[in-house]
Amino acid sequence: MSGREITYLEAIREALRQEMQRDERVFLIGEDIGIYGGAFGVTMGLMQEFGEDRVIDSPISELGIAGAITGAALTGMRPVGEIMFMDFITLASEQLVNQAAKIRFMFGGKATVPLVMRTPMGSGTGAAEQHSQSLENWFVHVPGIKVVAPSTPAEAKGLLIESIRDDNPVLFLEAKLLYKTKGEVPEEPFTIPLGKADIKREGRDLTIITYSVMVKRALEAADQLAQEGIDVEVIDLRTLKPLDKETIIASVKKTGKALILHEAAKTGGFGGELAGVIAESEAFDYLDAPIVRLAGRDMPVPYNRTLEYNTVPQVENIVESARKMARREV
Amino acid sequence: MPIPVIMPKFEMSQETGQIISWYKKDGDLVKKGEAMFSVETDKVTMDVESPGDGVLAGITAKEGETVPVTTVIAYLLGQGESLPTAESASEAQPPENVSTPVEQPKSAAISSGSATPVAQRMAAANALDLTSVTGTGLNQTITKADVEAALAQRGNDEGKVRATPAARRIAREEGVVLDEVPGSGPRGRVQEDDVQKFLSTTSQRSAQVLPPQAAILSSTPDYDIVPLKGMRRTIADRMVSSYQSAPHIMFTMSVDGTSLEGLRKRMNEQAVKRGEEKISMTALLTRAVAWTLLRHSRLNSTLNGDEIRQYKTANIGVAVALNDGLIVPVVRNVEKKGVSQIAAEINDMAKRARESKLTPSDVSGGTFTISNLGPFGIEQFTAILNGGQAGILAVGAVQKEVVVVDDEMVIRPIMRMTLSADHRTVDGAVAAQFMADLRSVLENPDLLLY
Amino acid sequence: MSTNVQPYEPLSEKRRKELIKSLSKEELLDSLQKMWKIRAFEEKAEELYMLGKIHGTMHLSIGMEASAMGSILPLRQDDLILSTHRGHGHCIAKNADMKLMMAEFLGKECGYCRGRGGSMHIADVEGGNLGANGVVAGGIPMAVGVGLGFKLQKTDKVIVCFFGDGAANEGAFHEALNMAAIYDLPVVFVCENNQYGMSGSFKRMFRIPRISDRASAYGFPGVTVDGNDVLAVYDAVNAAVDRARNQRIPTLVENVTYRWRGHSKSDANRYRTKEEIEEWKTKDPNVRFASWLVEAKVISSDEAEQIRKSAYAEIDAAAEFAEGCAEPALESIEEGVYA
Repeated sequence: MSGREITYLEAIREALRQEMQRDERVFLIGEDIGIYGGAFGVTMGLMQEFGEDRVIDSPISELGIAGAITGAALTGMRPVGEIMFMDFITLASEQLVNQAAKIRFMFGGKATVPLVMRTPMGSGTGAAEQHSQSLENWFVHVPGIKVVAPSTPAEAKGLLIESIRDDNPVLFLEAKLLYKTKGEVPEEPFTIPLGKADIKREGRDLTIITYSVMVKRALEAADQLAQEGIDVEVIDLRTLKPLDKETIIASVKKTGKALILHEAAKTGGFGGELAGVIAESEAFDYLDAPIVRLAGRDMPVPYNRTLEYNTVPQVENIVESARKMARREV
Repeated sequence: MPIPVIMPKFEMSQETGQIISWYKKDGDLVKKGEAMFSVETDKVTMDVESPGDGVLAGITAKEGETVPVTTVIAYLLGQGESLPTAESASEAQPPENVSTPVEQPKSAAISSGSATPVAQRMAAANALDLTSVTGTGLNQTITKADVEAALAQRGNDEGKVRATPAARRIAREEGVVLDEVPGSGPRGRVQEDDVQKFLSTTSQRSAQVLPPQAAILSSTPDYDIVPLKGMRRTIADRMVSSYQSAPHIMFTMSVDGTSLEGLRKRMNEQAVKRGEEKISMTALLTRAVAWTLLRHSRLNSTLNGDEIRQYKTANIGVAVALNDGLIVPVVRNVEKKGVSQIAAEINDMAKRARESKLTPSDVSGGTFTISNLGPFGIEQFTAILNGGQAGILAVGAVQKEVVVVDDEMVIRPIMRMTLSADHRTVDGAVAAQFMADLRSVLENPDLLLY
Repeated sequence: MSTNVQPYEPLSEKRRKELIKSLSKEELLDSLQKMWKIRAFEEKAEELYMLGKIHGTMHLSIGMEASAMGSILPLRQDDLILSTHRGHGHCIAKNADMKLMMAEFLGKECGYCRGRGGSMHIADVEGGNLGANGVVAGGIPMAVGVGLGFKLQKTDKVIVCFFGDGAANEGAFHEALNMAAIYDLPVVFVCENNQYGMSGSFKRMFRIPRISDRASAYGFPGVTVDGNDVLAVYDAVNAAVDRARNQRIPTLVENVTYRWRGHSKSDANRYRTKEEIEEWKTKDPNVRFASWLVEAKVISSDEAEQIRKSAYAEIDAAAEFAEGCAEPALESIEEGVYA
């Protein structure tokens, strides 16, 4: 381990920079990513290093950005687009869903669309209803797109480099609240395979399955629960699609209790998919409690700070939920 | 304070106990821990120890009487104490010194009339108001059967057992009937732990040695009277029930025991070398039968109502003869064990059986039974199916016989075995195939490695 | 001519002669043949559809042959096109094999898209056709991406992006034209204005006389021509391709044309009159082109008739071939979702 600590945001920047250095087919396009350095500062300094031709400031045209990266990918480039807030991916959806995700299949496998679309999701910054959504399940549902959601700086770097090198359209989901978190990150370029979950904490009593911003909260909750003698295993999915079903099933077989945790609203959320995967698998015979989903409330994210805080699962909610399950009160 | 003496409970589903004999009588001074009387349940005979020091008084249950569990049947009086007045015949709190099973019965709504603990628990788990249930037990006690009937009448599927998938899996593997397992989860749900507890349940109280023969109650000049009670009665009832409900079909087959005897000889050389127990023919047979059962799961099944439960493991009961009785301890998961371990287990259980030290879990959960009368010189015989199982194998002695091999007369050690099968669930061809496979593996024991 | 689009300058006879002279005989004959192939193909597709042999729906471009041919004639082999749901003509003009196109329409494994795409998504990526598109204006933003790719790769390739009048009102059109302008991309936007979206007429859906006027809103030239005059189209698009290739300035070329058939197979043509359709049929682009070539003595009228007949013969053979092809294997059903 190098021992060097950088932030999640810096790790992403490093991934972009190293890939652009390594492969001249990689270029960036997004709103205010050039001289401004990106709305959150992710691309700071890249335009100066690679020029305006490879770090392209776009007009406020999300659909145009998505179409641009799709068309460029068809000519053999490996573009990385940015949508400033995941909420605006709604505007880009036509090109991502009807074109990028489908072209390879529609054309009988005779075309390749190697693009990455990066976007930050999540609440907690007071940005309110239209700047705080987590819509990952929408795109998990579209065959042809891969969906990645890292939780730590090192994984953000490794997974982003891997995503850029992947020949498929990849939706790379960053969490706003994670941008400033720090962690050890190797300096050289490295990859982490897509579709492999990571067990962040091993345990015997209960499995928490989660990703992105919730991983840290799950680990904190696990520490608290350990004091009560409840030994929690925390699985960080890292990639939502393709999903690492094996790790999930093995863990639930071991503990017999599955707690699915995500920030996005509960109804119709990705947690339902995970619950279904568990219930259909051989882990079913080992369940000793109902599968529980702990997720955001079914409401838009409000502005008021306290209300915002209480809209999504927090450490204390995770502790309570897990404790109830462990005590067979559910 | 007078110490109540109760009819204790040894098994989860036990509702009554029958007093076999009193060792003490009214007025005797009893010390804590001394055996006071013996009790017969469906499966075993147990001695009941005194919960404290005192003078035995107020005995209300006689020998031979069947009493609901937890009923107070006597008191131990201290100096100067006298019997409590206006006591009811219903249950009191069991004194802590008397060993009772670990499970905590859930309390249920009881107003008038008593209910057995099993009935209470079932009612509580199913939110059934006991006041609405008529009791058909002794003194109108509400029994488990009464609660089941009431639940069935209530017409919803709460009659089904609530249990988690994990609990069901363990129950399946171990041959446990879920209805008998108390659930500690919400709404009375049976959790995995509950099944585990049930399996290792009932305190390991050992019984003392049974009297060498069933006591002859009385004699006339022409005949002696042996009362049909206790184990004798249970066996009688069971045999009738099995014979009358299951149409038995029988299949006899001769097996050339040459390979088997050779194998046994070699194994015993090993055993001697290692100072381990010798391998009996029964142990080898048991292992071979397990191999065959797992390939013919219909023979490894029980019929419960209209469910044929085909077990995924072979828990084979090995009949052990007792004085005027028979008991069938079960070796679990035989297919997973080596012959040496099986032999050791069979020997240990036979020993404990003769010492009346078997526990209820030793004799439950069987999926098939073997009865070997070979040591008595019997050539062949048929056995009656045991406890709802689909098959029982009666094995005769190994005897040298002249047989024809390649048109030549040779002398081979021949063993005859007879399978009795339940024709409700096992057809001729199925049984025949089972027997054919059994013969294959007995005559070619290398197949056990397959 | 009853049309809702403002009159545009027709090609002068002088210019027509110049253009004919500037093109080789091969190019001219090849173009005429392709235009007849398009006609023959569309008619055969229609026939097979009505016989129940083609599944789904189709969008025929009968009457629009000149727009397709004239826009693709100026291209090099390595230039690319993006097409529309009404793209059979573009595909043929870009040298597609009609046998493989037919096979694709019949859903066969040997079709261009292995039977997975059908009429609306037919593509010949190797041949330079990045695909028909089932979403109106779906290809326009991608054209920007292709142009960006060419620019970054430092080649002088050009992308011609087809779309219809309806697409000019999609948000994608506006975002893409703006981006093509600001990034100096080698894109030629070709709007085939056949004057109806589905049923929405140009007159009702636009407050401007010409779609090409919208180019100036984004800062590059736009021109409107007679889309049924293959030479006029060629003239305009050729200039646009040149501008794109050498100056990296986009152009919006508007080909005013007309589709003889309804929007799709389930169109009862309630939104236009029979008279209008008949009127436009007199401006048959294939017949006109043939007559100019005969007039200019490039070919005889017999030869012109031969070319027409051979196109129909070829399509008959293609249909026969396609019907003999195999269906995709069920085991391969999920292939191609991911790379």
